[in-house]
Amino acid sequence: MIGASPMRPTVLRVEQLGKIFGSQDPAAVAQTGPDAGSEKSPDGSSVVAAWDVSFDVASGEAFGVIGESGSGKSTVMRAIAGDHSASAGSVWMQRRDGSTSDLLTMSPSERRALRVDELAVVYQDAAEGLDLNVTAGGNIADRLTAAGCRHFGQIRERAAELLERTEVPLDRMDDLVRTFSGGMRQRVQLARALANRPPIVLFDEPTTGLDASVAAGVLDLIRSLLEELGIAAVVVSHDFAVIEMLTSRCMVMQHGRVVEQGLTDQLFEDPQAPYTQRLVAAARA
Amino acid sequence: MNSQQQDAQPRPPVLSVRGLRKHFVLHNVDGRNVNGLNGVDLDVSAGEHVALAGSSGAGKSTLLKCIYRTYLPSAGTATLRSPTGEVELTALADAELAGIRGRQFGYVSQFLRAEPRRGALDIVARAGVARGMDRAVATEAAAVSLRRLNVDESLWDVFASVLSGGEKQRVNLAAGTISPPQLLLLDEPVSALDPANREAALELISDLTSHGVAVLAVFHDLDAMARLASRVEVMRDGRIVESGPPGEVLHHLEGVAR
Repeated sequence: MIGASPMRPTVLRVEQLGKIFGSQDPAAVAQTGPDAGSEKSPDGSSVVAAWDVSFDVASGEAFGVIGESGSGKSTVMRAIAGDHSASAGSVWMQRRDGSTSDLLTMSPSERRALRVDELAVVYQDAAEGLDLNVTAGGNIADRLTAAGCRHFGQIRERAAELLERTEVPLDRMDDLVRTFSGGMRQRVQLARALANRPPIVLFDEPTTGLDASVAAGVLDLIRSLLEELGIAAVVVSHDFAVIEMLTSRCMVMQHGRVVEQGLTDQLFEDPQAPYTQRLVAAARA
Repeated sequence: MNSQQQDAQPRPPVLSVRGLRKHFVLHNVDGRNVNGLNGVDLDVSAGEHVALAGSSGAGKSTLLKCIYRTYLPSAGTATLRSPTGEVELTALADAELAGIRGRQFGYVSQFLRAEPRRGALDIVARAGVARGMDRAVATEAAAVSLRRLNVDESLWDVFASVLSGGEKQRVNLAAGTISPPQLLLLDEPVSALDPANREAALELISDLTSHGVAVLAVFHDLDAMARLASRVEVMRDGRIVESGPPGEVLHHLEGVAR
């Protein structure tokens, strides 16, 4: 092994994750997927939104999940985040205290505690990650107090520091988030997600729906934050440019299954699976 | 170089490629097979500049991309050695390869691929930081390199996305060569430069080899190869068909490699 190779510890390991909506009939698995051409079982009683999904992410690394609508990429993210229960598999996470936990076997209250300072999510729709009827500063303070911070001055100071880092003008700190533009809401969402320095952050289409120039600014900010903070990130997007800019490895999903996994540049320049070749050709055209 | 002469055993090459093959399967064009590489053997040692020559489609870029794993090799090996050990790049797990890319070996293409909203100085300095340099040292080194490549200082903090093609290419070369790794793969790194800027870029590349970096490069012009290469490998149909010092090989390549 080459000496200086800085192999960083794996902090998130997803093993054979599966999610079936509707009837939990195991037979539906064989009847769905890319070969069947659908994630929905023939009798319509089950949707195998994700099945047999495995990957791992080290700290300081960003892993991408790419696919079209309905491919299962957001289901994977929501199962890891705990927004959905999973039907199968494990999600191992390296905890702050050095122990390892399977997120899928945790109680709801344990999972909520995890979301305070160990696992953050940035959603496409800022309304999911923020309370729009609370100020920008208040949204961040909420995270800090959840983590046990009680000192008003310190909370204001940390909130201001985070807003500054995510390029939100400080004179907007006490404005309600619903008065903010889409790009500014995403920046506040980032500030809130990062408030307690979580080692793992999940991004679900973080720039989709923003104007191109605004999206570029948010993307650049995310890239800088990933570089500087050494967090492990999972980035879910249908947008090749987002995956290309943020991740070093990624996987492609179709009809709830992983069709290909590899280095991001290799996947885009030398895709192996017929589906990935079609997807890349369409995106490049 | 002196230490190499004093060694009882010559140091093994930094890069050894053996039997490297690549075929592409175009599933959406009737499953057509296209052969990119048909078994390539090649060594590159520290301080050596090996130039790949041949007409377009001969497999030059494919070879570089297979070594960097931007293309998935179909067969064969590519071994990267350092004083502390060796790795076989074609068999390395994706995460491990991603971890040594840029640090143990680098790839410089003809295009700058950077965040659209970063300035030239920041892009080059970050490349240095990614290779373990202290931020202040990296910024200083980035300034030296950009100055050397004649990138106008008034452009250093302008978003790189608005720079000209030639300016972007020089920023890219500066980023790729700051605190260089032991092996650099160069793919047409000066293709968009005018004569004066090209001259500065070639000098910078020539300095890499004199500082012990192993270079494997593709240039579209014979003049650059003649000046920089310690050895030229001529490719045709995905194979190396001739190998030797530039003076011996290049004279009968006129009209082929241009």
